[in-house]
Amino acid sequence: MAQPLIDSIKNRSLKNKIFFSVTVVILLISVLIALFTRWILISTLTSELKLRGLGIGYSIAESCRSYLLTEDIPQLTSLIFDARLGARRELVGYVFIIDKQDRILAHTFIRDFPAQIATANRIDPEKDHRIQLMTMDNDKVYDVAVAVNEGIYRIGAVHVGLYKKHIDVLINKLRTTFLGFVSVVILFFFIISHHLAKTITRPIAKLTRVSDEISRGIFDIELKMENGLERSGDKDEVRQLSRSFINMTNRIKESQAKLKESDNKYRSLFASGPNPIFVLDRQSLNILSANPSAEETFGYTREELVGRLFTDLGPFELSADQLLTFSTQPTGRVTSVSSKVQYLKKNGEAIYVNVHACPVHFENKQALIVATTDISEMVEKDSQLIQASKMTTLGEMSAGIAHELNQPLNAIKMGSDFLEMMIEKEMPVTEQQLFQIVREVSSQVDRAEGIIRRLRDFGRKTDFTKEKIFINDPIISVLDIIGRQLRLQNIDVQLQLTENLPAILAHHNRMEQVIFNLLTNARDAINLKEESTLRNNQRTIVIRSYTDNDRVVVCVSDTGIGIDPTVKDQIFEAFFTTKKMGEGMGLGLSITNGIVEDYGGKIQIDSIEGRGTTFHLSFPMVP
Amino acid sequence: MQAHKVLVIDDEKATLSMFQLFLKAYGYDVLLAENGLQGLEMFAAERPAIVFTDIKMPGMDGFEVLDRIKAEAPQTEVIVITGHGDMELAVKALNHEATDFINKPIHRSALDAALHRAEERIHAAKADSTGIDSRQENDLHIIEITGHVSAASERELMDAYAGGEPSPKSKILLRFDQNTTINGAGLGVLIQLLSECRKKHQAVAITGITGNFAQIFDMVGITQLAAIAANEQEAKTYLNGECK
Repeated sequence: MAQPLIDSIKNRSLKNKIFFSVTVVILLISVLIALFTRWILISTLTSELKLRGLGIGYSIAESCRSYLLTEDIPQLTSLIFDARLGARRELVGYVFIIDKQDRILAHTFIRDFPAQIATANRIDPEKDHRIQLMTMDNDKVYDVAVAVNEGIYRIGAVHVGLYKKHIDVLINKLRTTFLGFVSVVILFFFIISHHLAKTITRPIAKLTRVSDEISRGIFDIELKMENGLERSGDKDEVRQLSRSFINMTNRIKESQAKLKESDNKYRSLFASGPNPIFVLDRQSLNILSANPSAEETFGYTREELVGRLFTDLGPFELSADQLLTFSTQPTGRVTSVSSKVQYLKKNGEAIYVNVHACPVHFENKQALIVATTDISEMVEKDSQLIQASKMTTLGEMSAGIAHELNQPLNAIKMGSDFLEMMIEKEMPVTEQQLFQIVREVSSQVDRAEGIIRRLRDFGRKTDFTKEKIFINDPIISVLDIIGRQLRLQNIDVQLQLTENLPAILAHHNRMEQVIFNLLTNARDAINLKEESTLRNNQRTIVIRSYTDNDRVVVCVSDTGIGIDPTVKDQIFEAFFTTKKMGEGMGLGLSITNGIVEDYGGKIQIDSIEGRGTTFHLSFPMVP
Repeated sequence: MQAHKVLVIDDEKATLSMFQLFLKAYGYDVLLAENGLQGLEMFAAERPAIVFTDIKMPGMDGFEVLDRIKAEAPQTEVIVITGHGDMELAVKALNHEATDFINKPIHRSALDAALHRAEERIHAAKADSTGIDSRQENDLHIIEITGHVSAASERELMDAYAGGEPSPKSKILLRFDQNTTINGAGLGVLIQLLSECRKKHQAVAITGITGNFAQIFDMVGITQLAAIAANEQEAKTYLNGECK
């Protein structure tokens, strides 16, 4: 039952709350004071009355003692009638004297003595007086009984009857006065509390209105706030509040301005950025926005891009880590998504890009900012460099090639010259001889063709898409080309190739270049060792291929001069070489390293100066 | 004529089989070896008069084979097989006392020429000595050079030259024989002689050298010091023209 009441109280406005509570409190206090005062007054007056009665009683008792003893009734009567003289008439209702035997000796009653009051108020034997409230003819009277003593003996009692209505009148007057007073006070406070409540809540209401305006974006409130508050001093809490409020709104204004500025800055960065920037929906990967550079680079108009699936342009795959980070964080740092991937322009032309992504909030959606950096030129330059190096390699190979091609040519020449000679000399050619020659010629042509084809493959500029190759194939191909040369230099080439190795993603002829480079370095190292004074000459190159966990490994070991540990870190630098001038540019290993890294591979070197070197190349295998 | 034994050493099987066909057709006893070691074994066993050996072989290379053979039997005619355009190797081979060299791819004519030379030299049996004659034909000083020209020939050659009483405007003809061989040192001697002639403003012509040697002469710069003529007539025309 109380709950609805409490609720209704709670739901009232502050103004009303203040108002009502003040009023109620004042009311209660007033009432309490009134009651308290009334009670005090009443009790004081009553006792005053009683005392007065007692006073009268005692004086009569004193006076009437002798008369009582002599039972002088007329004296007694005149005595008690005197007692009622004057002003006492109103107060004293009656007086009567009673003796020990309860006989009424004298009384002031005009009418008959009401018998019941004679014995109604008996004084205790030990006490001198007794006061008792009695009812007599519908009036309340205090009967004050005073004992008349002669020495220690009680000889009688004097009863004085006081009308209670004497004080009742006073009390009523008092009550009325008080009521009036309290009412005035209440009314007064009613008004005051109303006013007070309003005063307190007015600034609050104003603050509320102003807050509403601010949230709608209107910021010039300073003036409004100051109004009406100039009169309050600086220490006034309401003033302080409004001051604070003004400060706060100023700060909000400032940060809004800064935000706008920042917004503009980023807008202009986005628009003018040299790299294509896209904003994608994080879940669906639809393009939400794109900058002018994106339009220019990819050849689509803005309208064509917005709403399109980003993966229409090219592959976009997030790693498991990235997906996790992107889904848990609303905004985050930039991460690289892909390196050197192929994206397509509108006209189908391919470009190579690096892709970076960063999670953000965009128009209340979870989004990704994706930037693509065009590296086509770099990739082109890269491949040109590799091509140039290949040409250098080809140059190095030319002596070997010449020799290789010479052999088939020789066999063909000699065979055909023989036939010519025999015919000229009219000498018979046996069928067996003919067959032998013809077959030899044919096979030698095949051989030459193979050499030429391998050369052309080697020199060809590769396609950018990697393919699955088996690492043993380029090893065999390269050995076909320079194996003989190495043997001629008395270098023993040992192969420890594992069969059926898993494939790796690479290009066949680039791998050939890598192997070729390693083999020529090995050969040079062995020759250098020969040239130095070190004896104990093993001239061996060992090529191994095997798997290690999920990687395919190929090792090229030589028994050459080894690598000086102080230069070990530099050997992959472009143009670094320990060879003499004119004997090599120092590009081989740097390009080899570049190619290996391109395929996700790693090169590790073990080398002991004076003993030999092993290059370990490991590549990720593909299923 | 008794069939000579010919040993062919080459790591290319095709080459060996082609050589066999040719040499058999020419009537030789053909021995084939695929590497230096095998070749030397066969040489020791059979003692062929003529040996063809490839220079670039794995294991023991042609030069070592050449040296060993020459050490064992210096009169053996060893013809080295070189790659196309490998002139340096050819000169080196000559320095190692090779009789001749032929280039791959081997032309029939080259093979014939080499065999012919070898045969001639065998018959001449003058493998090691230099034969230098000089005579005067009108105003032409002819020096005939046969055999093997080496460092040892220097004295003889210079004597032959001085014998012609060379004076400015002398015309000198160096007539080589088809079988004449000359090694690196011999080339040096020749160049020395020719430089002297040039200093003295004498015209020199050379005849009688094989195409192979003509190439060598060109490479070492002899053609800048003297003209190489195909025959004596041409030589005389040149010399007359020079000395006008």
